[in-house]
Amino acid sequence: MAISLGPHLDAETAEKYSLEQLSARKAAEIEGHLLICGPCREAVAASDAYVAAMREAAANIRKTEQNAMPHRRVATR
Amino acid sequence: MMSSAPDPKSSGNSADTTQSWAGMVQRIQANDPSGMEELYGIFTTGIRFYLCRQLGPQDLDDKVHDAFLTIAQSIRRGDLREPERLMGYVRTVVRRQVAGYIGTAVEARRNFVDADHTPILRDRKPDPERTAIEEQNTALAMRVLNTLPRRDREVLVRFYLQEQSPGQICRDMRLTATQFRLTKSRAKARFTELGQARFARRIGFTASMEARRRGSAPAQAS
Repeated sequence: MAISLGPHLDAETAEKYSLEQLSARKAAEIEGHLLICGPCREAVAASDAYVAAMREAAANIRKTEQNAMPHRRVATR
Repeated sequence: MMSSAPDPKSSGNSADTTQSWAGMVQRIQANDPSGMEELYGIFTTGIRFYLCRQLGPQDLDDKVHDAFLTIAQSIRRGDLREPERLMGYVRTVVRRQVAGYIGTAVEARRNFVDADHTPILRDRKPDPERTAIEEQNTALAMRVLNTLPRRDREVLVRFYLQEQSPGQICRDMRLTATQFRLTKSRAKARFTELGQARFARRIGFTASMEARRRGSAPAQAS
């Protein structure tokens, strides 16, 4: 069966999709494409994993930085 | 923005696509099993991916089955008037299904105190394999962030954790858009590199264990 997949996602778009930073119209277009495109699903899965890991790691680092600055903790109380 | 990389499986011809969708839709409407088979073959992995991403892996097979049932029934009823819009139509049906599950879960949680049983709120034990992978990914991301200059790290923390826009980060930190993009892409490249190294080490370890097992097997036998 001949099916046109349309253009593939680039890395930046995949990341924006993972971060939910796309317009509803663009996200809908991408979701349609992902229904039938395996390579782009893999790209989005990798992007989801990267974004989740960076968020978690960044949160850990912020916590460590805040703990290392006692004057800030006092100031925020 | 989307790249226009050609796909070997794609004809790229929208007339072919329209004809193919129309043929498949006609066969589904005529209760020809080949129509459903084709629909399933094309969409099953994508629907599974979408549902899993939105709702998690619980009862995924049932949810995929429900989605196909809904899609097939609505096509047979004639709800899809323009077959060339099949892809968007499938997406809409699956999106509504996700909204329905979320609505039911929210309702069930609201009534949780009064209800004797809430089937939607079943035991959601974390998948140990998934958890382990996520922890490893976080450890890699920590390594990446900890080895970066403080300023680059701040850029990434602001972007990924505080969800500041690239424009705001560039203004606040006096960066050009190119510097911002470079900081992000270098971190991602380092993350990928570390991930690949970890994967290669694991493969190497498995191979050496396998070789050792094979090597020791005859000795044990004798």
